[in-house]
Amino acid sequence: MAEPNKAAVSPILDGRLDKRRKLLGFMWKYRALYFISLPGLLFFALFKYVPLMGSVIAFQNYNLFAGVTGSPWVGLEHFGRMFQHYDFLKILRNTLLLGTYDILFAFTAPIVLALLLNEVRQVVYKKIVQTIFYAPHFLSWVIVSGIFVGILSPSSGIVNVVLGWFGIEPIYFLGEDSYIRTVLVGSGLWRDVGWGTIIYLAALAGINPDLYEASEIDGAGRWRQTLSITLPALLPVITILFLLKIGDFMDYGFERVFVFQNPLNIQSSEILDTYIYKAGLQQLQYSYATAIGVFKSVVGLFLIAIANTISKKATGESLY
Amino acid sequence: MRKSWTRALTSGLVLAMLVGCAGNNGGGGGANAGGDGQGGNEAGVTKFSISMRTLNVSYVEKNPDINKDKYVLELEKMTNTDLDIRLIPHNEYQDKMVQMFATNDIPDVVQGTGGISGPELAGAVENGVFLPLNDLLQEHGQDLLKFIPEEAWKRMTDSKTGNIYGIPEILSNPSRRATWIRTDLLEKVGKEIPTTVEETMEVLRAFKEAGVEQPYAGRQNFKYADTFFGAYDVLGYLNQFKVFPDGQVKPTFFDEENMKQAIQIYKTMHEEGLISKEFATIESADFKSIVTSGKAGMWSMNANELPIWGTQLKENVPDAKVALIPSPVGPDGKGGYAHYNPVTRSFFINAKAKDKAEDIVKFFNWMVSEDAELFFSFGIEGEDYQVTDGKPVFEVPTDAAGADKMRYLNYWLWLVQDTTYNKRVSELSDSGKELIDAFDNMLSTEGRRGIEFDPRLEAMVKYPELNPKSDELPPLILEHVLRMVYGREPIDNYGKVLEEYLSKGGKEIIEEATKRYNEKENAFE
Repeated sequence: MAEPNKAAVSPILDGRLDKRRKLLGFMWKYRALYFISLPGLLFFALFKYVPLMGSVIAFQNYNLFAGVTGSPWVGLEHFGRMFQHYDFLKILRNTLLLGTYDILFAFTAPIVLALLLNEVRQVVYKKIVQTIFYAPHFLSWVIVSGIFVGILSPSSGIVNVVLGWFGIEPIYFLGEDSYIRTVLVGSGLWRDVGWGTIIYLAALAGINPDLYEASEIDGAGRWRQTLSITLPALLPVITILFLLKIGDFMDYGFERVFVFQNPLNIQSSEILDTYIYKAGLQQLQYSYATAIGVFKSVVGLFLIAIANTISKKATGESLY
Repeated sequence: MRKSWTRALTSGLVLAMLVGCAGNNGGGGGANAGGDGQGGNEAGVTKFSISMRTLNVSYVEKNPDINKDKYVLELEKMTNTDLDIRLIPHNEYQDKMVQMFATNDIPDVVQGTGGISGPELAGAVENGVFLPLNDLLQEHGQDLLKFIPEEAWKRMTDSKTGNIYGIPEILSNPSRRATWIRTDLLEKVGKEIPTTVEETMEVLRAFKEAGVEQPYAGRQNFKYADTFFGAYDVLGYLNQFKVFPDGQVKPTFFDEENMKQAIQIYKTMHEEGLISKEFATIESADFKSIVTSGKAGMWSMNANELPIWGTQLKENVPDAKVALIPSPVGPDGKGGYAHYNPVTRSFFINAKAKDKAEDIVKFFNWMVSEDAELFFSFGIEGEDYQVTDGKPVFEVPTDAAGADKMRYLNYWLWLVQDTTYNKRVSELSDSGKELIDAFDNMLSTEGRRGIEFDPRLEAMVKYPELNPKSDELPPLILEHVLRMVYGREPIDNYGKVLEEYLSKGGKEIIEEATKRYNEKENAFE
């Protein structure tokens, strides 16, 4: 008598309890896995999510000694100040332009290079070339800038010597607004192109050689093979890396620009990152700098969400 | 079987992590305990921690443990202290200092740069981190009060409360930079030492004809290449405000006529190749190597580098002769470089170290004693120098290692002194004597002194583009000036540049500067 009554009263509750029991049972079954993941989760919570809360200082007039709890709240004042800054549009434009160039060149170049390297059949030669290409990645930006200042020097740089052979007047590459973006993207390309190929080469190594053999029997040449086998096989990796890159769109990086900057090229080279450093860290305006940083991250988040959705619909590949 | 393995492995990992964390905490706690150091008076030894910038002194930067260095140990013995020196890397000084305040891991004594409101202190003085020292100095620091001039104390004083917050190290001759010239080249081209801007240009042209690669050594942002801005009195740095005829206090670069002329000089030099075509990208290391490899004919550098740069130049170019000369004068008959802040380093005592503050002040008081001067000039008696007939006999080291050590002792470890030059050591060598002569008779009469605001004007902090550095024009002005020198913008545009400066926040700066100057609120002249 009691039993049907109980069932009538709370079928939903019962269902919930059942679900929870199931979940707990499931978790218990894979307890070792959950246990293993604990350190990782803790790591992310401690070092990625806790610092995220520091972003609240963007809405305060942060005082180092008063801390987050003691500093006065100012709402969106710092964001307003940022948007009102007379150079804001210029800086944003530079940031977007550099980001675009970086995607156009620095993102595609490793793919092309990996495809080319893949065609090299001499293993020793391939390894040597590969090593030469990725060695610069281990140099710091300060050194890279030193090298580029050297080779681009109008008086002694190799580039201008070569231009001289064709009767071209020496060009002061680092002293001109019109060249600086090329220099920035070019130096980044030189430093990181080889490093970027590693993941593609790994993906290429995973392609089943039977496919190539079969296509050869069907009469496909090298070019056809690349188009019909290699590229489609690489596509998932390319999509994922592209999505990740989109997330970093506004993060061109502070150091790589800062080391090349001088007053003659600043009109084209000032980006959000360098501005944050100058306004925020050198002048100790933490809240202002944080506001710009938050703005940057929010834009990045939007971009990545949009790109992910598009990609999911178009190619079926996505980050989440 | 397999399951138990995974279990053992994971628990091992977690354990390792916990131990790691615990270890970290332990370490942090230990350091804190050392920092707070509860007096620790064993046998009357004062134990205290002190943070110090390495100042690019290689002896310090290469030292595996500065606290075990024999000169530090000797210093401790002489002053009955136990120092815990915490080094702060020279190039990351400001960041590391701010980090130190942010994590609240502040040593008993904090070394600052300049006055009480430097950016590296991050507002610590206003927030009550340090101890007011007035009474302590009266009681235990009489020698300091006598040795350090009023001007320097003022920089350490909060003008609103009259509290002194730090002990300054001083620069009695604020005119520290000098114009250098290769006298052997002058002889070669048959010219006299130039005195005016025009004469200087003639000499530079003659150098060019004689094949000198860079008659005048230029450098990025006109750092140490500002000789001609100095001649026209338009340096425009942080301490270069002046009262204009209209009664307003403005940066000196508002003197439009003189500024245009100064820019024209640099433009001419650039066009004629008297300065490197690429000086906009020459950094300090390149600059030094250009000078010491003999490629330059004339340049500007701190006068006290004469013995070191001179020696290095001679090593590369044996015939080279170099001299410090009076800086070229402009239309007002004066010249030279921006004067330095009279305070070079300063030492603040943590409010938490109140119980040992008395002994710390005594320690600093000792720094200006006769014993200290002997120790920091020559080193340890019997080891670095001998005493014969009651007089110290010392030989100036000529090798690089010896020079490094001297720089460390004379300049870095000696916390409170007059840093113009080391008298005892300089007197012992020819180049040192030249140096003393240059400082006492030439540099002391030249240089540009303006109005300085410390703490910095609030409007300046608000507009980073308008905020000059201690020896660079504000970015906005610098950008246009460089464009003009490189011929990308006509010099006649300079008036518009000033308008741009005013419209982008400069008006606020000038209003605030004028107000503070008239009210004498932490404005230094």
